Amino acid sequence: MRDAYLIGAGQSPYGAFPDESYRSLFRTAYEAAVESVPNGLESDDVDEAFVGTLGVGGRQLGLPGPAVTEHVGLDGVPCTRVENACAASGFAVRQAIQAVKSGMADVVLAGGFEVMTDMSSDATKYWLGVSGETEWERLSGTTFSGVYAQMASAHMDAYGTTREQLSRVAVKNHANGAKNPHAQLGFECSLEDAQSAPVVADPLNLYHCCPTSDGAACALIVSEDVVDDYTDEPIRVAGVGAGSDTVGLFQRDSYTGVPASQQAAEAAYEMAEIEPGAVDFAEVHDCFAIAELLAYEDLGFCEKGDAGAFVESGATRLEGELPVNTSGGLKSKGHPIGATGAGQVVEAFKQLSGTAGDRQLENPTRGLTHNVGGSGGAAVVHVFEKETEVNA
Amino acid sequence: MTGITAVGAYAPRFRITSEAFTEAWGQFQAAGIAEKAVPAADEDALTMAYEAATRALEAADCTGKDISWLGFATSNPPLAEEDLTARLGALLALPADSTRHVFTGSTRAGTRALWAGMDAVDAGSKRGLIVAADAPRGEPDDAIDQAAGAGAAAFVLETDGEATIVDRAEYAAAYPGTRFRETGSETTDGLGITQYDRQAFAETIGGAVDGLERDPEPDAAAIQAPDGKLPYRVAGPAGVSTDEIQAVATVHDLGDLGAASVPVSLARALADGHESVLAVSHGSGAGADAFVLDSSGPIPAAVDLEGGDTLSYAEYLRQRGVVTSGQPAGGGAYVSVPTWQRSLPQRYRLEAGRCPDCGSLSFPPGGACDDCGSLAEPTPVELAGTGTIEAVTTISQGGAPPEFAEQQAQSGDYAAAIVALESDTGDTVSVPAMGTDAEPSVFSVGDRVETTIRRIYTQEGVTRYGFKIRPAAE
Repeated sequence: MRDAYLIGAGQSPYGAFPDESYRSLFRTAYEAAVESVPNGLESDDVDEAFVGTLGVGGRQLGLPGPAVTEHVGLDGVPCTRVENACAASGFAVRQAIQAVKSGMADVVLAGGFEVMTDMSSDATKYWLGVSGETEWERLSGTTFSGVYAQMASAHMDAYGTTREQLSRVAVKNHANGAKNPHAQLGFECSLEDAQSAPVVADPLNLYHCCPTSDGAACALIVSEDVVDDYTDEPIRVAGVGAGSDTVGLFQRDSYTGVPASQQAAEAAYEMAEIEPGAVDFAEVHDCFAIAELLAYEDLGFCEKGDAGAFVESGATRLEGELPVNTSGGLKSKGHPIGATGAGQVVEAFKQLSGTAGDRQLENPTRGLTHNVGGSGGAAVVHVFEKETEVNA
Repeated sequence: MTGITAVGAYAPRFRITSEAFTEAWGQFQAAGIAEKAVPAADEDALTMAYEAATRALEAADCTGKDISWLGFATSNPPLAEEDLTARLGALLALPADSTRHVFTGSTRAGTRALWAGMDAVDAGSKRGLIVAADAPRGEPDDAIDQAAGAGAAAFVLETDGEATIVDRAEYAAAYPGTRFRETGSETTDGLGITQYDRQAFAETIGGAVDGLERDPEPDAAAIQAPDGKLPYRVAGPAGVSTDEIQAVATVHDLGDLGAASVPVSLARALADGHESVLAVSHGSGAGADAFVLDSSGPIPAAVDLEGGDTLSYAEYLRQRGVVTSGQPAGGGAYVSVPTWQRSLPQRYRLEAGRCPDCGSLSFPPGGACDDCGSLAEPTPVELAGTGTIEAVTTISQGGAPPEFAEQQAQSGDYAAAIVALESDTGDTVSVPAMGTDAEPSVFSVGDRVETTIRRIYTQEGVTRYGFKIRPAAE
């Protein structure tokens, strides 16, 4: 199979934008992605597009993909909408990589969008819950805050994980987000702030939950045959992996981990021929603070049960040995559901291309992105690698 | 001769005192009531009927499958039209061909059900189940609402039951306007014509007792109790002393139980071992039923009417939905009624599936086995209704899905858990369930819980009932 490369990626700001539409946000992201391609890219070059969105609000539930690609002048380009809840555009990126590796396309756009703040909070909650298992899990009175809180209760019971450790995830991600001009909640918070916020679903308080967001993100994936046309410093897609599981948490064997994430990570590491320790930084799916802790364990960054101590050690801070969510993560940067997975790839691209501004890591070689749908019904992991460094 | 072989009774855990009303209104209009039971936001006559019936069946050491005749009585059915005995029968696992009747329209409905049940057993029906459950409602500033309590009683009826019904009589006389609920109204009304109302009450009760062939000399008298004073006013016409009324009165602690008033007092009398009991109901319109029961001692009973939590007046208004604004716009998770209906064996009776290939349980049954992936049709297995919490959260304000927002506004934060429910053979399967009947903070990982039936939510006008969990009984 051919190698696939990440040649550019960009995003709109994440936040609440009453003056923007899903199409205008997507256009901002698309233009930023095109702009980021070192040697430039013409719209005519794009062979295929995959667009992730959950469809919050129902605004264009059918054919949302072509609705945004035609808006940026890509009418005529084969376009497929990808839906895997919060992992929609992580899977859109995966589809783009598959299209390139299969040989069917040389230049593929993978993007995503969501508009979540233009309706009442009750209407938003309706849409937030639609990816939970509806008949049983939701009708036991939960949305995702409740389901992740249940996972937290099990992890706390099994491993002694503390509320303070959950709050440390928020403090770290806000510190990073404060350095990201695209972040929705780009301010620092103290450990005290993050511990004293109102409870949403015990043990999770407001600072343990990501916001609802508007936003869009795009990534451009090309084949090894054309990569040299676009960049002199290629970033190779070294590993891809994905997994799926029961939609309802209650039907899984374990509530203290996300088997789909473990499966995705294992496949991605195997393809990249690396161990978790070879990763220089990671963007993980921290929709709730407990989700980031579970990701540390599921992705092999620490031993099972040690995630609380791992965040407490500072290892995952910007200056730590394995910075996690340098963008601010879903918690601070924001979580426009369909854009999130592609947005993680944007951060990976920025770090690997040295364009991450105030939060730039020192010459990283390898970055991982981890995107989860629902409470773990779907998960996708990508490993990106700066080829020049590896080959040197 | 037809008799009662077992009784069950139930009252919700919430209580409110007369002092709370006095503090709020400057007076309390329901004479003789010290405190009363308040149904939780997820309770109604149907769920209370389930509670009482389950207790009676357990006391009788039988199951719903043994019941050939069901009578369900309430003056406040959750729906004005729809035969709720179909759902109650399904909740209790009655055979599909058992006879079912609804009795409503009057606080006399409970004894009407008992009357009809006797006739049915006399006519050869093997085992009857009579369930009376009620939670009257009025306007917050009227005597009917201030008296209104909540409770339920159930009786298993058989030929040669231990508590034999040795005599009965009925009496009716037209007295319009004493207590009525207009079509379409959720609240019961009365004109409050004191002497007229008392005359209707005394004449019908006296008339029914006079109609008895026997001259009852009861050691307990279960008399209709719209408030805590009226039953004592008819001691004379009923031929009993106030002591016999007080011995089994429930109105002072539970309030006006409507159609369940006499049944709950009767259940208490039989559980306490009273050997001769007079039971006299009254319903507006007006009419009365009188029964005389002889018992040789306490009969099998599960009659726990103790309260748990005392509400403030503001909490009372919330629980009753008086000051909440209903379901928010924005819709809920859409589960179609046919979809819901297909899941009733699971929601009502915890029917899991056992994989014929590997033997492991799945819930809900269907689809590939969670353990081995087999697509073979699972064997239905009814779970026992007890289990252990594996994961739990307390959903706070703002954390509830929209379809639960009204319930949360009424009853506050709630627990949402994953519970490992046990089968008869001891293995478990995990199910998600909402906590009820206790503060959410009491549910912790590792705790023992049991299931019960409550209102889950209402969509498209159809209230969906299903299991929830509560702390296991000691």
